[in-house]
Order: sequence, then structure tokens, then C-alpha cells
Amino acid sequence: MFDKDLIRKWLDEGTINHTQADKMQTDLVEYKQEHRSKKQIIAFSTIGAILIGIGAILFVASNWERIGNNIKVFLLIGSTVGIHYTGYRLKYETQKYPRLGSALVLLSAFLFGASFFLIAQIYNVNANNSTLVLIWIIGVFPLVYGYRSASIAGLCSLLFYLWIGLLYMERTDLSELVTIWDLCLISGIAVYFTGTLHGLAERVKYAEKSFKFIGLQAVLLALFIRTFELGGYEVEKIIPVIYAISGILFLAVLLRKPLRTGLGSFQADMSISILALLMAGVTLTTIYIPGSEKTYMIFFNIIFLGLLTLLLYAGYSTEDLGIINTTMFWFVLLIFARYFDFFWKLLPRSLFFMLGGLVLLVISVLLERKRREFKARFSGGEQ
Amino acid sequence: MTQKKIFYLTIVFWLLIFSGFIAYKEYTLMTGTEVILKTEPVDPRDLFRGDYVTLNYEISALDLEEIQAADPYFEYNDRIYLALELEDGYGVPKKVYRTSPDNELYIKGTVKEVIYDWETDEDGITTEGPYSKELRVKYGIESYFVPEGRGIEIESQQWAGRAGVDVKVVVDKYGNAVIKSLLVEGKEIEI
Repeated sequence: MFDKDLIRKWLDEGTINHTQADKMQTDLVEYKQEHRSKKQIIAFSTIGAILIGIGAILFVASNWERIGNNIKVFLLIGSTVGIHYTGYRLKYETQKYPRLGSALVLLSAFLFGASFFLIAQIYNVNANNSTLVLIWIIGVFPLVYGYRSASIAGLCSLLFYLWIGLLYMERTDLSELVTIWDLCLISGIAVYFTGTLHGLAERVKYAEKSFKFIGLQAVLLALFIRTFELGGYEVEKIIPVIYAISGILFLAVLLRKPLRTGLGSFQADMSISILALLMAGVTLTTIYIPGSEKTYMIFFNIIFLGLLTLLLYAGYSTEDLGIINTTMFWFVLLIFARYFDFFWKLLPRSLFFMLGGLVLLVISVLLERKRREFKARFSGGEQ
Repeated sequence: MTQKKIFYLTIVFWLLIFSGFIAYKEYTLMTGTEVILKTEPVDPRDLFRGDYVTLNYEISALDLEEIQAADPYFEYNDRIYLALELEDGYGVPKKVYRTSPDNELYIKGTVKEVIYDWETDEDGITTEGPYSKELRVKYGIESYFVPEGRGIEIESQQWAGRAGVDVKVVVDKYGNAVIKSLLVEGKEIEI
């Protein structure tokens, strides 16, 4: 979409006259308003669906004794099917409220999980069972493609992490193979890579951002945790191999020109592949020359900061405000964490809080200014 | 594929998952044998399903010096089949098998912890490799879900020594078990 600067440029060049420029300005404002209101509808309906879904899960959790089990199952399965049908009708048949329809399909995916957990509860299937979450994923994953749903792709990514976490708790032998943070990092890279693969095909491009966003958060969380002094870092021989394979797979996709040109966020994808290969090197070195707790803490701070810088560059060059916001959020968190680490014991408490508050205020002003600058650039003057 | 077909396929797929799961559990409940197992509960909270009582059965810890085993070498995550003998309705462990036994009532479990011992001679020198002395086993029936807040009540009854809590389970011919009810002082309770 063109912006106000471009219209002014065309006007100065004589490509368009004043009447055309005015018409374009008016249409541009209308388009932006329409676009904004569409975004608001999606945000409200999705948040509504999530809240109702969480409510249904909590209803199951309360195990309300006044309603019999059969009625509860009937109610929940009935609601799941009913809401799914309503969503389908609104989105595809009547097409009157397509965004609300999408939100209801998402809600039905939540209710499917709640119904399944209710049945499991009635039969007293063991608590915190990873298989139940896996069945939930299997049940709703086809909807990502069937209904072209980015929000269900996000739900599946979140459930994937939940499944990994529960599996890790169930299978104590897994902790001998991989640390929870390495597992989080590897699965984050895998989910991000899934997003990259989706970005390559036009038919499934809608799911790219959801997978990438959730994958990126897991990657950054795992690295952020590693920036603290966590004790020794023990690595099994298979871990560098997994990191290396994921890095090479990434490169194999990214370095092929026809594929590369199709990707909108090439730089961010490249940063994640570099991280995977770097982690292969770090873990391999750790097997043969293990470092001290302090060494890893410093090293992971550098890696985390390096990745944030790469991502900020990627966000800036691809004009992706999402990546910039994510990067800034984690950057503030890192500064906050290091501030507590270094100054908590050194300064009197009052000075600590005053200085901390001041630092955060300055950072927030700087970041807000930078963010506005980016936003203004990307949206052609609108703030 | 049209959207209508996708819609119908989704509904059929979901109903198949629900009914398949229910049929699997109902089969055990309808065809299995009732067994009472002694237990001691504690109360935690499940992520999605609220309050439940964690059931630690007497058969959750198998002392292989007292219970016969097909072989003494077990490892983490091994599948075992515990043959049970009924004594006044209570399931008493008889023998631990590696494969499902014929014509015996048995419950299927997974080894979650192994306590090892070593063969030593008169001078205390190890003569043979480690063998399993005790097994901690999970049978998939370690949670009993109760309405919010009631788990603590059952737990306090147990720990105060006022009541013995047993569990009535149904075990089918494949060794799958489903909890049927909770027994406090031998009586089935409605929670």
C-alpha cells in the first residue's frame, strides 16, 4: 500500500494532479480506518474465544458435583459441536461475520480439549498425562489447514510446548539426555522452522507468523534463562548433533535462491539458523572442554544480546513491527535482570529502587521514541 | 475438498476420538474383574482437571524378595504384568511377569524406579552384577478426581488414621485397569 509521502512525491513529479491526490489521501485514510477496525474485531473476538475456552477448562477442573457426569459430557460435547457449526456457518455459509466465525472455530478447538479432559477425568486417567495433550493436538491440528486458521496454529504450538513439558516430567530418563532449557530451545527452533516452511508455500502462508512468533518466544525464553548462573552445563553427545541438523536444515532452505526470495523475514530466519549452528558448537565444546558456571553465564548473555541485535536489524530491514516489539520486550527484560543481578547487593535498597526506576523510565522513553520512529516509517506517517 | 466436507470430517473425527476413548474405558469396566487395592492418598492439583487424590497403592512398590518375578533384571520404563490373587476381594500380588500370563488375573504396569542389590560372597565381595530388589510401578490408576477442595478432606481422613482408604478397580483380560470407586472404611463413598 502507498503512503502520504509517496502521494506527495507523485504530486511534485506531476504524475498525479491535485484532485487525484486528494482522492488518494481520502481513500488512504478510509483504508487505514477499515484495516484498524478489522484488526480490532479479530483481537476482541479471539480474546473472547480464549476467555470462554479457559472458562470451560476451569469448569471441568472444578468438577462441579451438582451436575452428573453424563450431563456434563453431553453439555460440553454438544457445545463443542454447536459452536464449531456456528463458526463454520458464519465463516463460510452465510459469510456475514467471517472473523467472528474464525474466533468460534478457535473456541471449538478449546472446547474439544475441555471435553476430552472431562471424559479423562470421569475415568480417572492419571493427572498431568502428556498423552491427553497429544490427543488434543492431534484433534485440532487438521483445523489449521482445513479452516486456514492462524490462531489454531498458535494454539497447537502452545499445546506442543505443554506436551513437551509434561512428557519431560513423566519420563525422568529424558532429563539424563537433555536439560529442560535445551529442550525448550530445540523445540523453539523446530516450531520456528515449521513457520519458515509454511512461509514458502503460498497456500499455507497464513500459519507462518503464528508458528514463528511462538517458536521465537520459546527460543528467547530458553536463552534468557541461560543468561543466569544456573550451575554446571552438562551435555549428552546427541545434543550438538540435533542442533547441527536443525541449523543445516535451516540453511538448506534459506540458501536456495528461489525459496529465499519468497521469504519475507529472511534475516530473522537466518538469525535463528545461526543460533542453531552456534549452539551446536557450544554444546560440542562443552562435552570436551566444560566451562565454569560464570563462563556460561557471560557467554549466554553475549549470545542473547547478539541474537536480539540480529533480530532488531531483521525487524528494521523487513519493516516487521512484531519482531521489533518482541526484541524490545526481551531487551528490557534482560536489562532488568542484569540490573538486579549486579546492583541488588551493592547499593542501599532505596537507591537501588530509585536508580532502577530512573533507568527504566529513560529506557522506556528511548524505546517508545524508537518504536514510534519505526512505526511512522512502516505506516507512512501514521502513529 | 469443499468446506462442507471439511466441517463434517472434523465433527466425525472428533466424535470418533471421544467415543473411541469412552469405548476403551467402558470395555474394561464392563468385562473386567473387580479388585480392591490398598492405598494411601495425598492431594495435589492437576493442570486442567482440578483436585485429585494421588493414590499410592501397596502394589506400587514391589519387593522382589517377597514377590516372585520371572527374572530379576528390570530397567526404567519396562512393561510388567503383575499377577494378582483375590483374597476377600483384595488384590494380592502373586508374581511379576515380563509377558502377559495365561489364565491369570493380572494388571499391566510400567516400572518407574528400580532399587538394585548386588550378590556378595561371605567376605562381602560383589560376585554378580546388580539385580532388581524393589520396583516402583505405575499402573495408570494413580489419580482419583474429586470436586474442588474435597481432596484435602480425604487426605486428612487418611492421615488422621480415622479411616482406611481403599480403591475398587476393574481389571480387564488385557491387564488394563480403571478406577471404579473409593472405599472409606470398606464402604463406597459418593464424592
